[in-house]
Amino acid sequence: MNGRIARPPDGVTHVVRSRLRFRARPTPRGLLAEDRPAWARSLACIVCLIALWSPLGTAASAAVKHHNVLVLYSNGRLLPANVEGDRAIAETLSARADLSVALSSEFLDSPHFGGEAFERAMADFLREKYAAAPPAVVIAGGKEALDFWLRHREEIFPGVPVVHVGVPVSWLERVRPLPPDVVGIPIEHDVVGTIEQALRWHPAARRLVVVTDTGPWGREWEQRLRALTAGLADRLAVEYLVGLPADELQRRLRDLPGDAIVYSPGFFVDGSGRAFLPREAVRLVAAASAAPVYATFSTLVGTGIVGGRTTGFDAIGHRGAEIVLALLEGTAPASLALPAVMPTALHVDWRQLGRWGIDPQTLPGDAVVHFRTPSFWETYGRWVLVVGVVVLLQAGFIAALLVERRRRRSAAAALLQSEQHMSLAARAAGLSMWVLDFGHRRKELREDAPAPAAAAPVALFDFAGTLEHILAPDRDRVEEVIRGALASGQDFDVEYRIVAADGTLHWQSARGRADPGQGQRLLGVVSDITQRKQAEAGAAQAHAALQHMTRVALLGQLSASIAHQLNQPLASILGNAEAAQKMLQRAPVDLAELRDICADIVAEDQRAAEVIRRLGALFRRSPPALAPLDVNELVRDTVELTRTNLLMRQVALETTLAADLPPLEGDRVQLQQMLLNLIVNAADAMNALPETERVMTIASALDAGMIRLSVADRGPGIPAEAMDKLFEPFWSTKAEGMGIGLAVCRSIVAAHHGTIDVANAPDGGAAFCVRLPARATP
Amino acid sequence: MTDPSATPTVHLVDDDPQVAKALARLLREHGFRTAVFDSAEAFLAQRDASAPGCLVLDVNLPGLDGLALQRRLAEGGPALPIVFLTGHGDIPMSVQAVKAGAVDFLTKPVAAEVLLAAVRAGVALDARSREAQAASAALWQRHASLTAREREVLAGLVAGKLNKQIAADLGIVEPTVKFHRARIMARMQAHTIAELMHLVARLELAPDARPAAPPGDEAHDSPM
Repeated sequence: MNGRIARPPDGVTHVVRSRLRFRARPTPRGLLAEDRPAWARSLACIVCLIALWSPLGTAASAAVKHHNVLVLYSNGRLLPANVEGDRAIAETLSARADLSVALSSEFLDSPHFGGEAFERAMADFLREKYAAAPPAVVIAGGKEALDFWLRHREEIFPGVPVVHVGVPVSWLERVRPLPPDVVGIPIEHDVVGTIEQALRWHPAARRLVVVTDTGPWGREWEQRLRALTAGLADRLAVEYLVGLPADELQRRLRDLPGDAIVYSPGFFVDGSGRAFLPREAVRLVAAASAAPVYATFSTLVGTGIVGGRTTGFDAIGHRGAEIVLALLEGTAPASLALPAVMPTALHVDWRQLGRWGIDPQTLPGDAVVHFRTPSFWETYGRWVLVVGVVVLLQAGFIAALLVERRRRRSAAAALLQSEQHMSLAARAAGLSMWVLDFGHRRKELREDAPAPAAAAPVALFDFAGTLEHILAPDRDRVEEVIRGALASGQDFDVEYRIVAADGTLHWQSARGRADPGQGQRLLGVVSDITQRKQAEAGAAQAHAALQHMTRVALLGQLSASIAHQLNQPLASILGNAEAAQKMLQRAPVDLAELRDICADIVAEDQRAAEVIRRLGALFRRSPPALAPLDVNELVRDTVELTRTNLLMRQVALETTLAADLPPLEGDRVQLQQMLLNLIVNAADAMNALPETERVMTIASALDAGMIRLSVADRGPGIPAEAMDKLFEPFWSTKAEGMGIGLAVCRSIVAAHHGTIDVANAPDGGAAFCVRLPARATP
Repeated sequence: MTDPSATPTVHLVDDDPQVAKALARLLREHGFRTAVFDSAEAFLAQRDASAPGCLVLDVNLPGLDGLALQRRLAEGGPALPIVFLTGHGDIPMSVQAVKAGAVDFLTKPVAAEVLLAAVRAGVALDARSREAQAASAALWQRHASLTAREREVLAGLVAGKLNKQIAADLGIVEPTVKFHRARIMARMQAHTIAELMHLVARLELAPDARPAAPPGDEAHDSPM
């Protein structure tokens, strides 16, 4: 984390490093397969393929040049700056696949070692050590190392270019000009920028406390600081805690007032002679100090200091290594265009910002933040996201389940309610539901049926169970209907009679249909319709009585003409008989005349009998009987009945009867009544006409398979407003009429599956037209 | 009895031929002549008006019915007495018929004696009617034999005027009036003035019997 953040944003370097590291693994696939999930495995495969396919991969097989590079550090091996810089150099040099660089490191261990003898020995050591594999480039890490090289280079590695890193600008200015093959980018510890930044964060600060030692390191820093802080004298009182023993130093630091800030480059030795690494020294200072501590080495960040403006050692190492690489590739040292100084950035310790109450918002844009405590979101953001998604999914799932459960419950409640409604409706309607499974000969019955036939031990609503109890004449019909329904899948509706165990007869109605899914299953309802049947029978009886009554009333209207028709033959008979009596008193008796008289009497008696015959059926109250009958004969018979009536009313009758009419199936009495009614109505309609204009036309014809019978008058016709009500019961235009006649006519015609209608003729008068189906020829 | 030898004829009008035949047979057995018609129109066209007798008429006839025929006949002056016979009659119908002068209103079937009684009554009525008709006709004939002056004088006498009043009215002398008066008495076959007045009264009662006046001797107006 530290390295990633501290390094300048150099994506290429980063990616290359990743690839190299990846290639360095001995059996990446095997490892991946063992400890990575499947998605990671496939991702790794893809990355691997890209790596193998890329030019870098192929470059590996090209000729590799071997170079030796030696780094000489000013200080000891453990100095964090050295550790950090050395790692950066090694990384950068090993990043080049086309180069094989053998990196060696040597340490001058300043300031613990020094002096001419040491340098002499060191020079000899280096020359001897690297005689077999002399470096192509040497690196000077720090000003002491550069100083060493400048003085001993020619005797150790003559002609080998030197790249210096981590050398302060101020020091270089003293040794310039450098030889042309000694190159590098100097660094600058931005003490003034650091102090100014500190003052921005601690505006109340009035004292600057500088902590270092009295050795070469401390003296040099003290000199530098005295020079640099001269411009700040009006704002800050600068105090130097130099060469104090560690415990004394700590006490002094603990007693610092609130308006102080501390600056320390660290020290190598304290007042009591105890040796320190500057990093450990600063850690000690920062731990004891009551005031914020600042320093200008990036490696000191993390010891407890707030931070400072400087250049990171890893950046210094990278940059220096890049120069080495350029030189290794043959670039002339003089042609390198190098910046005058390494760029600096404000390095801060995130934890110390919090400790000293510094608002992170005030950090400059180029600030490099170390030890940033990643926010909870940054650390666990992905997990939070995953957990959140999981929780959300679970919540959604649970919600869906709850909704489903609720829906199911409401559906169940609705179903229950629906069933209750259905049960209620079935109960109210006297229905019982049944399932009849012929496949398994199984039946299911709803027990919510009422029991109007409770007296019967046999459950009347058990449809399947009652099949055997159906009255014999109905059984075949019911079974045929059920078979038909099973075969066709159509609805069926059948009415039948059953005999209950107590001997009472019940009518039942079963309706149902075949279950579309299962061919041998029937579903349906059954209801007791005994009451309805009784009511129907009663209605039929009442209807018959009404018909009879209206027929008798009709005949009453015709009574005068009927009497006349009977009296005519009676008069003739009586006259003849009395004439014969008179003849018998004389002698001789005219026998021929007497025979003639007798013949006449017989004929007239038959005529009277015929009249009685015609009337008889009309007066009788007989159940309707269907029989084939000839319409024309019916017309003629009826006309005879009314002939005298028409004569008395001065109505001329014209009949146009079609020959060869097919017979129709009907009840003679009913049809005669209907015709009589129409004739009387037609005659009544012409009462107001002059006698010569009273003409009635009766016609029969075959019309599209139907027998058409019409009775037309020449009266005023039917008023438009009366047309609709004409056939309704108790509606009459006649003062003495009951309004039954035409209603009965209509019911008679309907019973014969015919129609009756009325229309006004264009030349006046109304025409009633009856259409009756002809009897199907056998 | 203008002609005692003449047998009365019963005219039967009935559209039912069997009924007509039976009744005719019965009536013939009882000594009547019969004439049968099947409709009113046939009767009007074919009857022998001079034949004495009566009319047995069915009420219900096609075309002109019985009651209508009765009205038609009444329009033409004294007619045959009518016995109505119907298969089914009602009271209004019978009242109308009798008020219009029918002898009787019978319903079929009718017993022979009832029918015969009615027919005989009708025949008798017809005979009396014809007798009166004949007497009136004779009287009118005598009246027709009077001259114009005599009728003027007769009018004066009927008005109860004295001879000299009549003479003054007519502008003639009284002896002339007396002469005319004697001639009138002779021509009218009256023996007294009272008898003459009675004859004139009878004339007034039977204006129908007045014979058509010969041309040139146009009767002035009614004697009234």
